[in-house]
Amino acid sequence: MADLMSTAHRAESIACAAEPFHPLLGPTSGQDLLAWVAAELGDACALDRWFTHGGARTKALAPDVILHVVSGNTPHAALQSLIGGLLLGSCNLVKLPGSGLDEVDAFLSRLPAELRAMVEVSVELPDGWLSSADAVVVYGSEQTVAALRARVVPGKTFLGHGHKSSLGVIWHDPLFESCPGAARDASLFDQQGCLSPQVFYVREEYPGSARQYAEKLASAMDQFSGTHPRGPLAIEEKAAIANLRAAYRFRAAGDLRVALWEGGAHLDWTVIYEEDAWFTASPLNRVVFVKPLPQDLARAMGPAVDYVGAVGLWPCTEELADRFAALGPSRFCPVGNMQDPPWTWHNGGVPRLASLVKWVDFEPSSGLTV
Amino acid sequence: MQEMPDDSPPETMVQAWIRQPESHSFDEIVPQLHDFHYFHNSAYRAFCQSLGVDSSVVRWRDIPCVPQSAFKHADLRSFPATETVQTFRTSGTTGEGFGQHHFRTLKVYETAVREGWRRAGLSSGPFLVIAPHPEEAPHSSLSHMLATLAAKEDFIAPRGVIDLNRLRDLSVPVCLLGTALGFLHVVERLGAECIVLPAGSTAMETGGYKGSGRYIERTDLYTMIDEKLGIAPGNISNEYGMTELSSQFYAKGPRGLHESPPWVRAVVVDPVTLQDVADGETGILLIYDGANVGSVVGIRTQDLAVKRGNAFELLGRDPSVLPRGCSRAADEWLTS
Repeated sequence: MADLMSTAHRAESIACAAEPFHPLLGPTSGQDLLAWVAAELGDACALDRWFTHGGARTKALAPDVILHVVSGNTPHAALQSLIGGLLLGSCNLVKLPGSGLDEVDAFLSRLPAELRAMVEVSVELPDGWLSSADAVVVYGSEQTVAALRARVVPGKTFLGHGHKSSLGVIWHDPLFESCPGAARDASLFDQQGCLSPQVFYVREEYPGSARQYAEKLASAMDQFSGTHPRGPLAIEEKAAIANLRAAYRFRAAGDLRVALWEGGAHLDWTVIYEEDAWFTASPLNRVVFVKPLPQDLARAMGPAVDYVGAVGLWPCTEELADRFAALGPSRFCPVGNMQDPPWTWHNGGVPRLASLVKWVDFEPSSGLTV
Repeated sequence: MQEMPDDSPPETMVQAWIRQPESHSFDEIVPQLHDFHYFHNSAYRAFCQSLGVDSSVVRWRDIPCVPQSAFKHADLRSFPATETVQTFRTSGTTGEGFGQHHFRTLKVYETAVREGWRRAGLSSGPFLVIAPHPEEAPHSSLSHMLATLAAKEDFIAPRGVIDLNRLRDLSVPVCLLGTALGFLHVVERLGAECIVLPAGSTAMETGGYKGSGRYIERTDLYTMIDEKLGIAPGNISNEYGMTELSSQFYAKGPRGLHESPPWVRAVVVDPVTLQDVADGETGILLIYDGANVGSVVGIRTQDLAVKRGNAFELLGRDPSVLPRGCSRAADEWLTS
């Protein structure tokens, strides 16, 4: 293990390297990172020295080598996972998607030499990486996660993060104040992240209010698009959006329970209102559904209920979080903040640092105080 | 131009046209079908009106294409429901229900199947079929299509159990018809065994792997069929069809291009502008099926294809070609 620095030293170096990536990562100061360590391991110096643990003392042991397998075109997961590994002081093997990730390269180039030496990257999965890693963290489809899990020998730490779907619940917003935030949540990163809402469920406080919300959201999506244009689309993505629009255009022509708002001829954004509460997965890239909130939302989610990432709430209260606990997300947060998870977020319901470390306890000879 | 006679259904005219497509141009027949659909199909009429298209269309390319998924949500039947003799259903995904394609006669459909097969230069039999018979799958258009070509006793996989002895005992060349998944099951059932079918045997595979959680490249499947059954990849054809259509497209060999029969037009277009793409470019497929007499002519498919002259190279809807992050997208539900 490269035990070259203290946790605090690593945190400062990482924070410095991460500075240009705050739009992706959110606030990432050395203090933020140390607070993350403290929140998960009980002490910001838990990796550096013994600290009191019940009647004894304990110390966290980071894995020597962590393999991070990241897929797709979101750099967030790659950077977050890698930063976690560096913070722990582990060596990090990073399997990038075939096209690579520029953000990871740029981040690495900003690391000091002693930390840079703790990272290896590859767009292939080299022979031996799986067997040499003490812990494996995988971001990808269910199939990818399952395939790699099957190749990891029992006893090794394995954290699999499959794809997730997120949603928003508008409980009470008579003035549509949440719309700009909802548009930001559904537009940032072109909906590629697991925290990107695909459907907003609106409690109908009067008939037609959900549809009205859709119209206001469309306007907010348009405004956001004006200042933050969508990224380029592959032909498959264009086809998926254009086909969905065509399908809903057909339905809207003869069915008042459906309405469509389309942002420009360039597929900038799409808002679809649909009375049917059944959860509809978006083809992503700023396509969002608005539906009236049903009595039993977990049921309306259908099979998607097993894949809920985050639930944005408006207003975001503990009472509402408890009301929607059956959705099983790993995060409730205010609509508008869905894309800004704190470092302490339990992604997938597990502590990201604490899940990787092991512990060694120290019990002093009797008569000595701890 | 031959007008549609008032006293006989359009099916009669179209059936005659399919048998003798040289007798009339596409523009002579298909705009009339649009006119017929416009007047007899309220869902289609509402769609046309929303696009500013009325009943009079001169060129077939001006006919609006109904999204394929519309068959799930609307009754696209251009005749009284009481006259329905057959309804084919799509497999459907969870929560969305299934699409339905209604017929008041299967004569046009069956004529299109036989004529399309003949014009593609495919085997005249004998056939063996690795797919359910219509008695087991009464709403499957594929089963009906296969039963139009082959006799009931040619179906060798009753209740999903493949009778491999029907393959082992062959003494004359045969044409094997089946789903890609069916062929995969045959290969797996054979294990280490190889059956060399009589020289001159051919195969036609169709359908995807939707819902099975499996996917194999066409070239790999053909290699497996070659190794296990002794049918050279060049003698294996792919059929591209769908419940919402009445006609089929065939491509010969692992890299063959799909071609349309004369009563069908397939156009590869930009998904946003719906303008034809240039040769060699990728777009979505619009299909104008002149045999779709009882429903609608123009279908906007969800399939991607590359324009290759008058033919197309099918790319399909392989979700793995989609770049994605950690967000679970629509396509993934299809494979879960």
